Amino acid sequence: MFKVENAEYQSEPALPGRWLLALFLACFLPSATAQPKAYPYTVVTTVGMVTDIVRQVAADKATIVGLLGAGVDPHLYKPSRDDVATLMRAQIVFYSGLMLEGKMADTLVKLARTRPVHAVTELIPPETLLEPEEMPGHHDPHVWMDPAAWAQAVEAVAQALAAFDPPNAALYRQNATRYAEQCHRLRVYGQKVMATVPEARRVLVSSHDAFNYFGRAFGLRVMGVQGLSTESEAGLQHINELVDFLVRHEVPAVFVESSVPRKSIEALVQGAQARGWRVRIGGELFSDAMGPAGTYEGTYLGMVDHNLTTVARALGGEAPARGWQGKLSAAH
Amino acid sequence: MLARVLESLRSWEWALDGWIIVAGALCAAASALVGTFLVLRRMSMMGDAISHAVLPGLAVAFLVTGSRASVPMFLGAAVVGVLTALFTEWVRGVGKVDEGASMGVVFTSLFALGLLLVVQAADHVDLDPGCVLYGAIELTPLDTVTVVGREVPRVVVMLGAVFLLNLTCVLVLYKELQISSFDPALATTLGINARGLHFLLMTLVAVTAVASFETVGNILVVAMLVVPAATAFLLTRRLSVLLVLAVGFGVGSAVVGHVAALAVPAAFGYASTNTAGMMALTSGVGLLAAIVVTLLRRGQPLRIKNPPGSPLFVDGGGTVRVSGGGR
Repeated sequence: MFKVENAEYQSEPALPGRWLLALFLACFLPSATAQPKAYPYTVVTTVGMVTDIVRQVAADKATIVGLLGAGVDPHLYKPSRDDVATLMRAQIVFYSGLMLEGKMADTLVKLARTRPVHAVTELIPPETLLEPEEMPGHHDPHVWMDPAAWAQAVEAVAQALAAFDPPNAALYRQNATRYAEQCHRLRVYGQKVMATVPEARRVLVSSHDAFNYFGRAFGLRVMGVQGLSTESEAGLQHINELVDFLVRHEVPAVFVESSVPRKSIEALVQGAQARGWRVRIGGELFSDAMGPAGTYEGTYLGMVDHNLTTVARALGGEAPARGWQGKLSAAH
Repeated sequence: MLARVLESLRSWEWALDGWIIVAGALCAAASALVGTFLVLRRMSMMGDAISHAVLPGLAVAFLVTGSRASVPMFLGAAVVGVLTALFTEWVRGVGKVDEGASMGVVFTSLFALGLLLVVQAADHVDLDPGCVLYGAIELTPLDTVTVVGREVPRVVVMLGAVFLLNLTCVLVLYKELQISSFDPALATTLGINARGLHFLLMTLVAVTAVASFETVGNILVVAMLVVPAATAFLLTRRLSVLLVLAVGFGVGSAVVGHVAALAVPAAFGYASTNTAGMMALTSGVGLLAAIVVTLLRRGQPLRIKNPPGSPLFVDGGGTVRVSGGGR
């Protein structure tokens, strides 16, 4: 941004005009710098899944401001004036990446000129990412659905914070390692409960294509009414195909998502009913947004635990009603 | 309530809000300069028509150059601006329909053509329809370019250039624009190329509309073109004063609009709202205030007296019957 060379102004006799100009320009100076001057420094994040892992890694060294609250759809989100004000106060910014934050991506790229901006998915090897058929050249952004992949995102956060704040690098690495371990343990739990679902029933039908990594990690066949982004509307033909599938394979349950309107899934249920197959709504899953802040479901681990437990139980598998660590709020 | 308003204004940041206001004010000023002539020539809706019709121009410019650089976009827009005016005239003459109908036919057809072109190139064109329709003035401070060693929002540079272009045209061609706006027949007998001026004006409107896409969007730019000029028109009959007042009202609505976008929702406990919408709304409220002032001043409800002999106020069955009483 602008450089106001204070030394030069001080060495000269004070000219009121110049001082006013300097003052005026100082108003336009960004308040953020590249290295933390004081603790806690300000980190701004986008979706809750990113906010949570940054919070776990940074601990009390940073104040973390998440822009997208519970139940907000990141594909369609547009930053408001207050969000821009928040972003301009940020000393370092983390977002999910892989075009998850569709409309915000441009904004974030521009922000990177003046402060570090990191996509937490930047360390994940591209060959392990899924590339959906309908969008060649683009990767499926819903990586957090596989806790093993998200553990790599945790690692990316640790590296970025270590570079930004070297004195605390060891702390960040230690926090990240501990958290990544929990991700792996949750993954083991998930595979165990999904294995109890009868094989023919391992099908996850939900509002949009957010669960491909989930399906790959836990051995489920995954189908969404809408495409990868919630921006595209579901075609009638696609809905009919899904209804056909539900009826033919006698799928017991379909799932709604907290950040996507229910109507497309309700269309499936009604469609199947008209064909004489009662499919029920197996529960609400957290796809692009986490549960309410302050609850276990409002954390990354809680969100995935909730999804695993809900899906396994609705499809006829065996999983503890209160989930992996017995922390889930309502009986599932 | 007051405390909440003050609280919201304490979040004021010059690096953000200052630039938003500068962008809004430049957009409003550039629009008001050309908008005044649209209002005087009773073709306010031409602004609406052109701001929609430029879409194929933008799409073709993109398809030809493969980039979203400003210069090809402006060229494409300018060409389509002139085409819109030409087609409108042609349809009116050949089809024997009135100006409004021919405008409606031409701009919807061009907009549809642009839509087809954009959809055809959908995967490559990063023209966000939401951004074009409503603008994104809140994001403008983030996208900066370096101008003489300073970081200035790109949009501010662009709007500043368009404002200067409009100002130069108006100053240089002031006399010609004045005569041809008030009496095209007289202008022609005086040897002024009224048709050429008409197309120049359409070009300026098109360029202004494109420059405003990123700030207020192509729907609300119509408000910026028409409302401040219409407000000023209620208060004065002198072209020079009219231009100054129109620009003043435009800039004023940008400033008040942004402050209101912060303060008004805060009064009811909400987060800040859309600045472009509040700017347009503010200018609308300004027009309402001007109507009230005019009525009070004349003491003559709903009748505005004509200055005798002014050809402008010979009412030809136009849409807004400002004149007509008291003669």
